[in-house]
Amino acid sequence: MRLTSLLTKEIIQFSRDRVILLLILWLYTIEVVICAYALSFDVKHLPLAAVDQDRSVASRALLEKFSTSEAFDIAGYPSTMAEAGSWLDGGKASLVVVIPEQFDRDLRRGAVPMVQLLLDGSNSNTAAIARGYTAQILDRFQQEWKLDGVTSAVQVEPVLRVWYNPNQTYTSFMVLSMIALAALMVGVIHPAASIVREKEVGTIEQLMVTPIRIGELFLAKTAPTLAIGLLSVFPSLLIVWWFGVPLRGSLLLFLLLTALFLLSAIGIGVLVAAVSKTLQQALLLSFFGLFPLMFLSGTLVPVESMPEFLQTLSLASPLRYYMDVILGIFLKGAGMAELWPQALALLVIGSLLFWVAIGVFRRQLA
Amino acid sequence: MNRHRLMAVVAKESREIIRDPITVGVSVLLPLVMLFLFGYAISLDVEDVALGVLDQDKSPASRALSDSFVQSGYFRLISDFKTVDEVEDALQRGRVKMTLVIPPRFHAALVRKESPAVQILVDGTYSATALVAANYAQTIVAGFRQPARPSPIQLETRVWYNAPMRSVNYVVPGLYAVILMAFPPLLTALALVREKESGSIQQIFASPLTPAEFIVGKLIPYGLIAFAQMIMVISLGFFWFQVPFQGNLGFLLATALIFVFCTVGIGLLVSTITRSQLTAMLLALIITLMPSFLFSGFLFPIFTMPYVLQLYTTLFPARYFVELSRGIVLKGGGLEVLWVNVAVLLLYTLVVFWLAAWRFRKKVA
Amino acid sequence: MAGGGNTAWIIEAQSIGRRFGTQNVLADIKLQISEGEIFGLLGPDGAGKTTLMQILAAILDPTEGACRVLGFDTVKQTASITSRIGYMSQGFTLYDRLTVDENLSFAAGVRGIEGSVFQQRRQRLLAMAGLTQFGGRRAGNLSGGMRKKLSLCSNLIHEPPLLLLDELSLGVDPVSRRELWQMLREFRESGATIVVTTPYMDEADYCDRLALLDHGQILALDSPDALRRRGEGTVFELTTNRAKEVLKVLTDRPELSGLQWLGTVLHILLRSATTLPNDIVQALQNLGQLQPVPASLEDVFVQMTAPESAVQAPAFVPSSPSPDSTAELDVVQLKGVTCRFGDFTAVDNVSLNVPAGEVFGFLGPNGAGKTTLIRAMCALLKPASGELRVAGVDVVKEPMRLRSRIGYMSQRFSLYTELTVAENLSFFAGVYGIDGHPRVEAIAWASDMIGLSGMEDRKVQELSAALRQRLALACSVLHRPAVLFLDEPTSGVDPVSRQRFWQLIQSLASTGMAIFVTTHYLEEATYCHRLGLMYEGRLIAAGSIPALRSGLSMKEATRMETIFMAYIDREKKAAPLTEAVS
Repeated sequence: MRLTSLLTKEIIQFSRDRVILLLILWLYTIEVVICAYALSFDVKHLPLAAVDQDRSVASRALLEKFSTSEAFDIAGYPSTMAEAGSWLDGGKASLVVVIPEQFDRDLRRGAVPMVQLLLDGSNSNTAAIARGYTAQILDRFQQEWKLDGVTSAVQVEPVLRVWYNPNQTYTSFMVLSMIALAALMVGVIHPAASIVREKEVGTIEQLMVTPIRIGELFLAKTAPTLAIGLLSVFPSLLIVWWFGVPLRGSLLLFLLLTALFLLSAIGIGVLVAAVSKTLQQALLLSFFGLFPLMFLSGTLVPVESMPEFLQTLSLASPLRYYMDVILGIFLKGAGMAELWPQALALLVIGSLLFWVAIGVFRRQLA
Repeated sequence: MNRHRLMAVVAKESREIIRDPITVGVSVLLPLVMLFLFGYAISLDVEDVALGVLDQDKSPASRALSDSFVQSGYFRLISDFKTVDEVEDALQRGRVKMTLVIPPRFHAALVRKESPAVQILVDGTYSATALVAANYAQTIVAGFRQPARPSPIQLETRVWYNAPMRSVNYVVPGLYAVILMAFPPLLTALALVREKESGSIQQIFASPLTPAEFIVGKLIPYGLIAFAQMIMVISLGFFWFQVPFQGNLGFLLATALIFVFCTVGIGLLVSTITRSQLTAMLLALIITLMPSFLFSGFLFPIFTMPYVLQLYTTLFPARYFVELSRGIVLKGGGLEVLWVNVAVLLLYTLVVFWLAAWRFRKKVA
Repeated sequence: MAGGGNTAWIIEAQSIGRRFGTQNVLADIKLQISEGEIFGLLGPDGAGKTTLMQILAAILDPTEGACRVLGFDTVKQTASITSRIGYMSQGFTLYDRLTVDENLSFAAGVRGIEGSVFQQRRQRLLAMAGLTQFGGRRAGNLSGGMRKKLSLCSNLIHEPPLLLLDELSLGVDPVSRRELWQMLREFRESGATIVVTTPYMDEADYCDRLALLDHGQILALDSPDALRRRGEGTVFELTTNRAKEVLKVLTDRPELSGLQWLGTVLHILLRSATTLPNDIVQALQNLGQLQPVPASLEDVFVQMTAPESAVQAPAFVPSSPSPDSTAELDVVQLKGVTCRFGDFTAVDNVSLNVPAGEVFGFLGPNGAGKTTLIRAMCALLKPASGELRVAGVDVVKEPMRLRSRIGYMSQRFSLYTELTVAENLSFFAGVYGIDGHPRVEAIAWASDMIGLSGMEDRKVQELSAALRQRLALACSVLHRPAVLFLDEPTSGVDPVSRQRFWQLIQSLASTGMAIFVTTHYLEEATYCHRLGLMYEGRLIAAGSIPALRSGLSMKEATRMETIFMAYIDREKKAAPLTEAVS
């Protein structure tokens, strides 16, 4: 009955706490939506400057291929190389395509004209992709103009099939990644805020004078978080559906593994509360402390593209495994058979964190 | 503005800061942590992509094709599959990120001058790198000629700015903006709100200090800290990460100074509208850290965003400084090219300060 | 040095009012304060003292009326005022990380006091405050009293003609309070005017004139003596041991504005300008010894603020524990209790026995160990040595068993502010294992006793301090504990509510509960059966007030403060003093 009273109180407090409620709402919805819409690594509408030194039928046909491509937007036709260079300097164009004089004539005669591509390499990712697209455009141009017929070489046709994310948009990844992050943040912030609030106001002292056991208090502070975290899955499913991200795997499995993940998050939250004296400190610590964690776990950039030592470090991050879980279940339709290593890792890390948290909690209050 | 009163405030604020080990510690550590994390971890470079090959032909031509993948340096051959099931399993488990499927009678088709089709299966979950990897794959396949021949049109590529195309060179200059946006506004906001919460601000109200003296006096120490952070980060970027420096250091530092005052001023503005340290912190984080990270062009390119959101990004000063920073460091740009950004930042800073001074009244309510 | 005006008043307030939202915090305040006065603003929390002070300091504008300070208008000539006055706001307004010297030099730098002038004044002020050797210590490491003194010095560094001090002595021990007032009097010699606010009635006597403030309005404005004279003939004390019959006589008398038990003495307060009818007087004289007593400021204040409805006589008979109760029956037995934090001894070898039904008051300066001792008795911390038996339980060995037998109300009224009254009561009932029908009963009993019926659905954050205090009390006694601990339960509450609260305490004690209270309000000491004076961790005196008086051979009319200071002085002489650091 003591536990029931504690839980009732926690739930009432939570439902009346506007700051934390708004924060959770924000994290799970607006945040996800904005990021999903805005953030991507795709190359689209890249401003391109074309220097057409030939002005022939062939050169115009080639340039048309560029302008109709979704990846590029023709920013203009500078008349000289110097001008094109200044466009690159000023950021007016991210790449310059230079079609030399005699382009048309060289093609008909079977001489090999040289098309120049000047790339702004600042964003290497974009540059690499742009270069690839340019090469492909050239290839398609060559095919259409049957140039290869002259030299009778055979081409191989690549058929690209993208699994699990056929639109290749970053959106699906972003949405799921944000949801995983939100789960982490909520899992950490909620128990931390709840415990530190009582510390700040002084009601913890009052509780210690009553027959309440420390274990009951601990449970009362952490169980609601688990419930909230699991319940929040459902509204985020709405967002997932809105963005057209598929759910190919089992919802039940997802809930189970989310619960395992929340164990770690809650453990971290309790530890944060143990070292914080004010709510502000707790939040600061959560945001800035979780930052490296979030980062190293593959939420923005895949873990594989990080250097070795960081990859090893990421093995300790529960979020890393949860990312695998959420991506696997939603996009790949993975089941327990594929995800059992992650489940095991989550169980081990979660239990460890949880156990340490209980110990610290006890020691602080005793 | 009375110099003595101003210096009194500066002295007090400086002493308080120095004796707060947490603040000092985080001021030094946080930029370092961010720098190293981002510098090392964000690599959008695609290398060593785990590749699997399902060669259903096993001819010299098919082997030549799969070799060309490995030789490109972008891919690392993980396994040779024997069945389609193996492929599915490996992709699902994430053991390979891409699989090349060469159909049977591939060589025969080439000999007969038919264009055989080769499948490239890509795990699209981490679509950023998937995209690039797929791109490379397609380029390699499309350029595969048997027998090897030069193509009718030769493409010569020259990379301006960041010729080695290291993403570190791209990330670190942008990082300068993020780091400066992450911490100084938060510190300044908290500094003022703390006085409000503790009530010591009433003593300030009931004294000869003018709002300008008080505000500037508080800002100077934080501005200096931020500037020191900036210098630390730039030097580390240059010496440790070997980000080449093309432009004028003086110009960069000058614009950095403006940006520092801008961010510090924003923190100040936040503090004039909030009453508790908690709200100040949340507000500062939401309007400075997150946008600077996500919407300044630091990591995610602005030009791919929907137009409305592109407009949204113009609200944030970090966007302008990212452009400035990259423009100076990577492109060696000078004032003639970048003056728009400088002007916007200056204007922004002035407006922010004016607003803050206007809101700060020496009255309790 | 008044400037720019044609009046000689240092402060002139013409019908000032201030509204916050829909609430009128101040209304129709008229004040005229002349040069060289020490003027006191008395009143409970929420009366509007701080708002008025802020208006006088020109850091808040009135929504009605106008105010001239030093001849300048507070709204239109703010800067002229703020550059001249000294203002000390509530709470501790120093920079904790800065040292004493640095705080002073900031205050001086901001006011343009520098060089040799600064050095001279600094030395003089520090000497006056007794802080000379603490120049290099951080403000955060000073005790409460020292911080207030430093704060005062910061405000005296520019020798302002007007000093506004908001709650100068809140939370400060009596020793430091005396020193503060000494500094003020010295300062006044140079012609300055001083306005002070305080919730402590005993400080009022130091002022030349007083304004009694309640709910934003001035109830009375006069010198302390004149105010006390207003109550002449309306205050009596009746010594009796036939309490029940006395109460029957006095029930529902419209002439009464207050009844308070002080041990076995009933303090009778009539409404202003009324007298008791002769037959009542006769009846009372038959039941005990009735004598008129001079009115205190608190009496006068209660008279002015008491509600119109007839005063309810405290519906209980005060218990007086029989003098020969045996030690084993004592509900609290402490022997040689010592508590240490590192090498700092917070409680030093305290021994004490308290029987059931006794109200025991702990008095003493901040840092004396009162709170630490209570926390040790509640098993909130472990003593370094000593035996503690509370409610029949060995506290050190069986802390868990103790918990259901004690009640605790901490200084900050630990309630859940987002929850309603009913939810708080329900929570605490559940926590003590009371459920179902017993819970309903317990809550009904508690609500009834403390007068909270009808407010069950109001959130605690909407309640006034007085109501919160009563709710906190209710929550702590739902399970009818044998011993109740109250740590500064009446901080900042108005006198009428305070008296009502003490009636509650006394009625609980009459049911057999032993109650420990700590308080800074010396006038409340009289409500307790016995007092314990603590100083630097030691229990330097314990006993009823008469016993304490005779312990030092003092006269009967000696004030509580004098008794208190006398014991401390004796203690100081006995052992060399090192300034207590909190």
